[in-house]
This record gives sequence, structure tokens and C-alpha cells, in this order.
Amino acid sequence: MDLREKLNILGDAAKYDVSCSSSGSSRCAPKGGFGSGCEAGICHTWAADGRCISLLKVLFSNACKYDCAYCVNRRSNDIPRATFTPKELVDLTMEFYRRNYIEGLFLSSAVVGSPDNTMEQLVRVAKDLRTVHHFGGYIHLKAIPGASARLLFEAGLYADRSSVNIEIPSDSALQYLAPEKNFDSIYRPMNFLAERKIGYDSDHARHSPKFLPAGQSTQMIVGASGETDLQILRLSAGFYQQQQMKRVYFSGYIPINADKRLPAITSKPPLLREHRLYQADWLMRFYNFRHDEILDESNPNLDVDLDPKAMWALRHPEFFPVDLQTADYESILRVPGIGVKSARLIVSGRRFSRIRLETLKKMGVVLKRAKYFIYHPDTPASLRRLYPEMVRPLLVAKRKPEQLGLFDNYVPALPAAISR
Amino acid sequence: MLAIHYDSSFDGFLSVVFEIYRQHLDVGDIVPVRPYAAEGAAAPDLFLQPFRVETDEESARRLRRAILNMAGEDILSLLDCAFRSEEPGIEMKIFAYLRKLFAGDSRGYARNPTSDEMLPLFTVARSVRREQGFMLGAVRFGKAPDGMYISAIEPRYNVVDMLAPHFRSRFPNGRWAVVDVHRRYGVCYEGGQVQLVSVDDPEAIAGVERSDEFARMWKSYYDSMAIKERLNPELLKRCLPVRYWKHLTERQVDASSLTIGGRNSEKRGADGLGGANLPSAVARSRSLALGHAGV
Repeated sequence: MDLREKLNILGDAAKYDVSCSSSGSSRCAPKGGFGSGCEAGICHTWAADGRCISLLKVLFSNACKYDCAYCVNRRSNDIPRATFTPKELVDLTMEFYRRNYIEGLFLSSAVVGSPDNTMEQLVRVAKDLRTVHHFGGYIHLKAIPGASARLLFEAGLYADRSSVNIEIPSDSALQYLAPEKNFDSIYRPMNFLAERKIGYDSDHARHSPKFLPAGQSTQMIVGASGETDLQILRLSAGFYQQQQMKRVYFSGYIPINADKRLPAITSKPPLLREHRLYQADWLMRFYNFRHDEILDESNPNLDVDLDPKAMWALRHPEFFPVDLQTADYESILRVPGIGVKSARLIVSGRRFSRIRLETLKKMGVVLKRAKYFIYHPDTPASLRRLYPEMVRPLLVAKRKPEQLGLFDNYVPALPAAISR
Repeated sequence: MLAIHYDSSFDGFLSVVFEIYRQHLDVGDIVPVRPYAAEGAAAPDLFLQPFRVETDEESARRLRRAILNMAGEDILSLLDCAFRSEEPGIEMKIFAYLRKLFAGDSRGYARNPTSDEMLPLFTVARSVRREQGFMLGAVRFGKAPDGMYISAIEPRYNVVDMLAPHFRSRFPNGRWAVVDVHRRYGVCYEGGQVQLVSVDDPEAIAGVERSDEFARMWKSYYDSMAIKERLNPELLKRCLPVRYWKHLTERQVDASSLTIGGRNSEKRGADGLGGANLPSAVARSRSLALGHAGV
């Protein structure tokens, strides 16, 4: 099997991993080598499904010994199997990197032999890149659940980011769908790496080595088992706080395997739900929302018609209207239609002049949503209270008009009583 | 009223502003004279009297210092970014800002991002910087036979020399060149030095980035990465606008363009040198170098 064929098989097998970011780590090119890390991350291209490709995302091998119901590489699937050699993978990464196709390597693997064996191969690729070839680009290594602490630690020294995917957001469903896995086996490497990272981060000596400078991430599948959005957000909020995760990714379940434990193979991936979850995730990471503000036990799912920020705003009419001249930055951030950049611009600009509606428009604020939630001197005092039931229909996107059937609303010409 | 013509460089523009103040010119429009066709350039205004201002480094330096003193370094770089957008009329917008800045009427005007003159400059500069960041990822190098990595790009804004610091720190021991095909100049890095080079024959460079085995592997890898249940052409076009596809190896549709770059193949065959004329196109133009760039 030639390299190109292997790359296609192992790239194809890795594509269901969502993580693509190359941010969070800044490195200079090592002496005698090449490659650097850009703090903000760089997207290199976008695939035909609109997802960004920034790293060479491949599996080391797809010959898996596990049989997880949701996974394309499970033991019982009849698919072509392939395994790279470390040298092939190192060469490929460096040649792609020199041509500026990629920002670095994202290396994952199916479990071949034992977890330790697999992890050792992954670490070896990263070690070769860093120490033999003096490669300074981004490396994302998967931590294989069940690998020994020594290997995980070594991975942390060479990689910029590491991740363990939790995949199914509840322990019981995970054990049902993936009999060889449970929450405990997944949390263990996460916690180990998080603790070690804290130790390294507190050491600010000039030459102290870096340990996972871009932190950890994880991913969960949405729609494969019956969790509510509240459960998913609560779990990811826990990851952000306890494991100091940089990102939690959501992946709408795509039916690849016919399995009676999973949704039917004809079902569509829940893309809109995934989108809403990401919006809620953004609120938690950049807008200072807590997960229990976005959802609670009485409404455990996100509104499909409205974005989570507008949903929160309509549930809290007492918070609005916000006066852009005087409100603090955090309150301005909570106005639907105003993002982080506009909020900063408003805060720095209002010291010099009044913020007017035209200015907001030029800044790029989505006035269509924001206008119901901000205080403006032109609106009469009687209207300065938000009525959620009036605003909601104005915010929801209009349905596309449909052709009506001739007899849909058919009313008989004669009332039933007379015709009898 | 005058229509002032200048050589389309930022220093040239600063010289124009300097002369406007020095000679008390009554200016109606500031018109760049570009060596290439700019997007959406307006027809000359018949009612304005043409007037040419030559670039003078000394007056540009003095005006730079004045802006630094009045507003600060970040504002100067913001004006530079806005200028690089090459939008029709951007010169008059920057001039309007500078005029108010130097009039000194209101305190804090210099740093107010929401003033009528500043806000358009601010948003334009933002999109120029976004374009620069996008281009860091969208450059595709191809290996020329002499070992130099060459890339052709066609950015919307004039950002090619803003890319040099990034690639210099990324490939400090390599030799590479990034060429703006439309504006016919580029940056070239060799032996630790970044130089601005002008390129006479950009067509010769355009195919090199997709002419080897790794380019073909990259293309097939790219194709296998899309999940077919999630295909979303609109999202793709929003993230990666169609105007950039031309120079992206992975977005080439036909397999033939991946072997040897289209029509250049004939030219190369005639030379009997294979692809050897590609680096020589850059080498030839290097002799016409505009001088060391301060990048």
C-alpha cells in the first residue's frame, strides 16, 4: 500500500474528530529547524462541509481492538485498515508544513494491541518531530485512555495540546454503547494531564520546558443517546472549571453504523442543535454566562428558533433596556446582537461622544436584534419596557412561504346541520 | 479645485498631505497612479485640475512624526492598514481624519474610534488585517527545482509585504518567495534577508505550487476530509470565498492542472529546462529589486 492510499484511509478515518484549532500556543522556530506557533491559530483551508482544516488530522492506525457502537473504526466494521510508520508520518508532516498546507499535526489512533503500545507510537512521532527534526509547529496528540502515566507525561512535553474524547455525555450511555469504556477511564488521563500542567504553569523560569501550552480539549457526540442540552452544558461547564479545558467540541451524530442501540441510519445529523450548543458554549467562554443561567431544570433544552442569548434576554425582561452610555461592559455584552468587538468599541468610544443608532450600525451591531434591548433617548418613556411576548415573534426568522393547497382550508358551502 | 496625482505608495500619500498643508492647496480629490488596474477605480473628474506631487521621503517622515506625536503609533499603523485597502476614495477619508486631527478642535479626537471620520477607517483597517491573517493560511508554497519555495497569491488588499515577518520567523533557514500576481510584486527571503521584488512575468509562477507529488496527496487528503452528510457549499463559500480558489492547490477541480500548471507547460517544454525557468523569473526580477524593504 503506498503512502497516498494510507493517507486517504487514515485521514478519512480521522475526519469525525471535530477539533481543528491551532491556537493557544506560541513558539519560535527552534534553532536549526523550522516551524512556529501562532497564538491566535491559523486556518489554512475549509473542507467542502465548511469545517476548517488547520492541522494534518490523521490516525496513526485504524485497526482498532474496541467495538464502540458509534465509531467508524470499530472492530466489527468491514473497512480497509492501514497503519503508518513513524517515519512516513514525520516526512509527510514536514513536507506539508513547508508548503504551508497545515499548521501542524493532529495525531490520533485506534487502539492497536494495548493502550501503552499505541501511545508509545504516538509519542515517538512527536518526539522525532521535536528532537530530531527541530520542528516548531503545532502538535495535537490524543491521550489514549489506559496509557501509563509515564507516556502521558512524555506526550505533554512534546505536544501543544492533548485531548481525550468523552464522546457520550453520560456514563451509563457510554458503557452501553462502548462496553470497553467508562467515564472513569476517560477522566483519569484528563485529570493527570491537568494536574501536571498546573505544576508546570506555576514555574516561570526562563528555560523551563513547556507542558501542553495550549491545554486540553474534548469532544462529545450530540444526538446519539438521549441527553438533554442542560446535561451537556453542565458537563462541559465542569470541564472548563475542573479540568481547565480550553475547548469542548460538539459533534452532531452522523449515522455511520447500522446498530440497534443508535438512531436509525437514515436519520439526519442534528446540525441545528449542534449549532445552538456551540452558541451556548460561546456564551460561557466569552460572554460571562454561567451554564445554569442559559438553561435550567424547567427548560432543559435550547430553543431551536432563537439563539441562546436572545432566549436568555426574553426570559429576563427586568434586565433590559440597557443604556449603552452608562452600562458596564458585562451588561452590554448581554444585549442580543452586540458581540465582543462591538461591546469593546462602544466602551472605548463612549468616553468621547454619545453612541447613536447610526454609529452602532456602522460598527456592525445587528440592530435588528439589538434595538429591542437598548435604551435610546428617542424612544418614548412608555415604551421603555420589554414585553417578551411582543418581541419574540419579531426575532424569530420568518418561515419561507409555502404554496397553499386549494382544499387545505376547505369549508363546506352549506353548514352540516342544513345538509342533513 | 485640484485632483492630486501621486505614485500610490503610502509615503507618496503622506507627501501629498504635506504639500497640501505647505502650499495651502484646495484639494478636490487625491488620485493614485497605479501600475496595475485597481478594483472599482472611478473615471477621472473632468472638473478638477490635475496636479502631480512627487514622493519626498523627508516630508513623509516629518508627517509620520507629527501623526505619532498627535495620535500615537497604533493610529499610524491603522492609517497604513486602511490605506492598503486601495478602496476608491480612501485617501480623502484619511485626509479628512488628518485634517480634523491637526485642527486640534476637540480633545481626545485622535483616539476616538467612533467619530465620523475614524469609524470607516477603523472598519476598513479591520478587514485589511483580517485579510492579512487569512493570507497567512492561504499561501501555498510549491518547491521550485532550485529548492526555493514559491507561492503566488491574489489578495484583495495590498498585504503581501505584511506577510513577510510571519514567514521569516517560521522558516528562518529556508528560501521562499510570496508573489502578489495582480500587483506584480512580492517578498523574497534568502540568506536571512527579506527583499521586495517586482515580478515581470507573474504567469510563470502561478503553476508551481501544484506541480509535485505532495500537492496531489494534499488534494486527495483534502477531498477525503469532507463529511458528505454535512456538505454545505454556502458555508464553504462564506469561509473560503471563491475569489481565492484560483491559487489554492486543494480547490483545483481538474486533475490535469495538478500535474503541470496549465498553459505554462508549453512554455516550459519549449525551454527544454523543465520547470527551471520558474525561479529564474524571480531571479530576473530580483535584479530589478526595489531595494531592501524595511520589513
